[in-house]
Formats: sequence, C-alpha cells, structure tokens
Amino acid sequence: MPAERSETEAPPVELIDVTVINGSYQILDQVNIVFPADSCSVIMGTAGSGKSTLLKVAAGLTIPTHGKVLVAGRDLYHFTSRQEQDYQADSGFVFQDSALWQDTSILDNVAMPLYINQPGKEKKEIYGLVSSCLRRLGYDEEVNVRPVDLSIGEQKLVSIARGIIHEPSIIFMDDPTGNLDDDATEHLFEVLGSLKTRKATIVITTNNTDLAYKFADYLGVIKNGKLLAFGCYDECLAKAEMLLSGSLARLKSRGQRACAPTDASEENTGRSEL
Amino acid sequence: MFSAIGSSVRNQITSLFYGLGFFFQVLKETSRFFRRKQVGYKVLTMQILFTGFEALAVCGILAVAIGAALIIIGSSQLPKFGQSQLMYSILIIVITRELGPLLTAFVITARSGTAIATQLGTMVVNHEIEAYISVGLNPISYLVVPRFIGMVVSMLVLTVYFNLFGLLGSFIVVQLIRPIPIQEYLVELLRAMRVSDILSGMLKALIFGVIVSVVSSYQGFSVNRASTEIPVAGIKAVGQSFVLIILADVFVTLVQYAG
Repeated sequence: MPAERSETEAPPVELIDVTVINGSYQILDQVNIVFPADSCSVIMGTAGSGKSTLLKVAAGLTIPTHGKVLVAGRDLYHFTSRQEQDYQADSGFVFQDSALWQDTSILDNVAMPLYINQPGKEKKEIYGLVSSCLRRLGYDEEVNVRPVDLSIGEQKLVSIARGIIHEPSIIFMDDPTGNLDDDATEHLFEVLGSLKTRKATIVITTNNTDLAYKFADYLGVIKNGKLLAFGCYDECLAKAEMLLSGSLARLKSRGQRACAPTDASEENTGRSEL
Repeated sequence: MFSAIGSSVRNQITSLFYGLGFFFQVLKETSRFFRRKQVGYKVLTMQILFTGFEALAVCGILAVAIGAALIIIGSSQLPKFGQSQLMYSILIIVITRELGPLLTAFVITARSGTAIATQLGTMVVNHEIEAYISVGLNPISYLVVPRFIGMVVSMLVLTVYFNLFGLLGSFIVVQLIRPIPIQEYLVELLRAMRVSDILSGMLKALIFGVIVSVVSSYQGFSVNRASTEIPVAGIKAVGQSFVLIILADVFVTLVQYAG
C-alpha cells in the first residue's frame, strides 16, 4: 500500500482493513480493496457474503466497526459533514431493493439528485432529463405516480435512474440486474456501456455472469466477509480457480479477456491473496 | 445479577447521551434550516397540516368539554366555601397554565408522535433514510427539522386554540346555569388573567412541542432492521413523551411558583 500519495493520484475509493460487526455477527473481515478510477469493478459472491455491506461502506452509508475508507486519498471519517455530503452528492447509489421514497412521485424520486446538485434548473428541464433517463432504461410509463403503483422491476429501473441521472463520477450498484426482465437488463447494459464510455468509476456487486463478463475491468470475489481475490478480470479468475463453483465457473467457461492492469490493480492483487 | 444491572444502567446512560447528541444535532440543523437551499418546505407544510390543522376538531371538542366540566364543578363547589369570585381565576389558571398545554401535548403525542416514529421507522427499514444520505441529503435537516418546527409551531397554535375553546366552553355552560352577557363574562375573565398565565402556558407548549418531536424522531431512527421494531418505536415514543412532558410540566410549574 502506498504510504504517501497526492490527491490527484489517489484512487477514488479505497478500503483499508475494514471490518463490520453487527451484534455477534461479523459481516466484513479486514477487507482491503482499491477501486480504480474510470473503470468498472465487479464484486461477486454468494448471498450473505457481505457484498452489499462492502458497497455501503465504500459509499459512506455504513460506518465500519474497524478500518478506514479513503476517498481520493483522504479519510472519509475525518470529512466535515459538508464534505461528506458533497462526496455522496457526487456519487450515485443503486440499492438492491430499490429504496425509493414511497411518499414521493417517480419524477421527484429520480429528480432528487438534480434538485440537490443543480438547484437552479428549470422544472421543465428536469422533467425532460428524468423522462429521457427513464426512457433509456426502457421505462416509458407515467412519472407522476407513486412507487407503490409500479412493479418491483419498474421500481428497480427508477432506482437505477436515480443513481445515474446527475452523472456522478462514482456509481455504486448493488445487484442492479435483480428483479429485471431480459429486456430491461439489455437496456441496463446499454446504459452501463455509455457510463463506461464517459469514464465513470463504477462499482457493482452482482452474481450476473453476463454483466461481469461484459463490463468488469476488475473482478473481486468475496466469501463469508473476506475478500478472497480482487484484480483485473482474467487475473482474478485465474486466482479464483480453486474457488470455482456456480457463477464463477460459468464466468471462467466464457474464456479469457484482455487484461489492463494498473497501479491500483497491482496494489489490490498484492493485498488480496487467495 | 449485578452485572445485568450494571449492563442495563450502562445501556440507559449510553442511550441518554445518544438522545442528547441527537437533540443538539436537531437544534444545530434547525438554526441552518431557512438558510439552506435543500430545505424540506413540503415536509414542513405537511407536518403543520397533519399536526396542527387536522387536530383542530379533537382539540376543540376536548377544550369545550374540559371548560364545561370545570365551570360545572366550580359553580357547585366554590359557593360552599363562599369563594364564587375565584371561578374566573381558577378557569384561567387551570386552562391556560395547565390543561391547555398539557392536553394539547397529549393529543399531539398520540396522533403525531406515533405517526412520526412509525413513519421514520418504516423509512429506516425500507432503506429510504440511506437513500437520502446517498444523494447527499442530511436526514436530520431534511426529515427531522421540518417535523420539529412543524410540531412546535402547531403545538403553540393549538394551545392558543385550546385555551380559546376551553374558555368558550365554560361560557356556554355559564349560560345554562346563570345567564350573563358575554361582555360581562369576558371582562371578568380578562380581569382574572395575567400576562404570566399566558406566558407560562406558551412556554410549556414550546417545551412540550420540542419533547414530542425530538423523542418521536429519535425513536423512529432507533429502529434497526426489522419491521417488528416499528410498533415498538411508536409505543416508546408515546411512553417517553408522556413521562418527559409531565416531568417538564412539574419542573416549569415549580420554577414559576417557587420563584
């Protein structure tokens, strides 16, 4: 791990020795991970392995019992409340269970990050942006209804739209393909493709092998709260050979992909030995 | 056994400090509320509507009934002691100083305190609070402060309303027992009324509004994960609010009368 780094060189998010304990249950166990900038990192693992908690710790939504979260090289827990809010406003989070505000319309749910980040925007302009973002995801229903009027899959699309509408520089997605049908998943993949094109830093937890195969620049494997491996896609799959089962085995069977290691990946692979 | 008692005491003290920390956080965010762009005016309006406007009927009925009961008891008991002239003073003291703020606070606790605790608790369970944090909104400034301000404002307005209706109720009963012109009734009331009576009632209303809103919000946020914790939060909000309201009432009365 580099001891001294300037803020410009520092990765957007780094977790150092992060442990999360809830009551007598250890959710994360000394996790060290660096999410490289401008790339898509995918974390895979079985249900209950700690994927969602890992993502929430990185996004500043869960405070770990031990360990540090560095944002651009600075300790998140030494941020002022203003700096913390700025970090969160500049990132997008897609929740596994959508977590839409039930007493708010779909329009306001999706537009909330715009209201916060771009308060001067006209209502008409906001409506246009929300509609266009939802359409890109394949949602073309009424936007003045409440979340309770939508199906679970539609709620997920709205949640994804809320996470990306303000074009955040870091996007966290917790199981984004969960509850989506094939068509909606295709729309999501198109959106993820465009996010990668505009060089956003994307961190996804999923068990969808299609998503991991198509978009993962970096792949991580988590089991029982321990990060078993993290590195560039093929490197990680090779390392994870002894763990191959289920989705990892399916991913492995799809073959090799070009690997583009960076400084960050070297740091990660160095720290997360199998 | 000693270790269990020690652990329980430690938990209570920790909880007290968390509660105080939460209270100061609410005060801090309240001082910034109107200067911020990201203010929850909609939440504030809805809170005033629900806590204040929608409680007008129940407070009005309660106030008229209490005023009527007081005048019936007073007019039957005071003449026995030759103290009929104290009727108006007792009405003013009991309604404006004690029952007005106290019963209004109980109505607000039962209606809005439980609503706030269960609503915030449900939002915690559904991860809606985390969603606010994830977009850069402070849940205390966006969700708690508008409820805090809305509840305190509603409490003050409802207390004035309760006092007016309580005194009106007594006037209606006076007409049945010993009809007197409204001017005479009002003059006697105003003669018995002191500024300190009104200030005392309003001070209590302010303190009770703060207690109910902070306790209810705190209990709502203390829900952890399970939906079964939500009704428990509602019950705790009511129980703790009632106890703190009565303690605060005794304290304010003691300070005023002992001082």
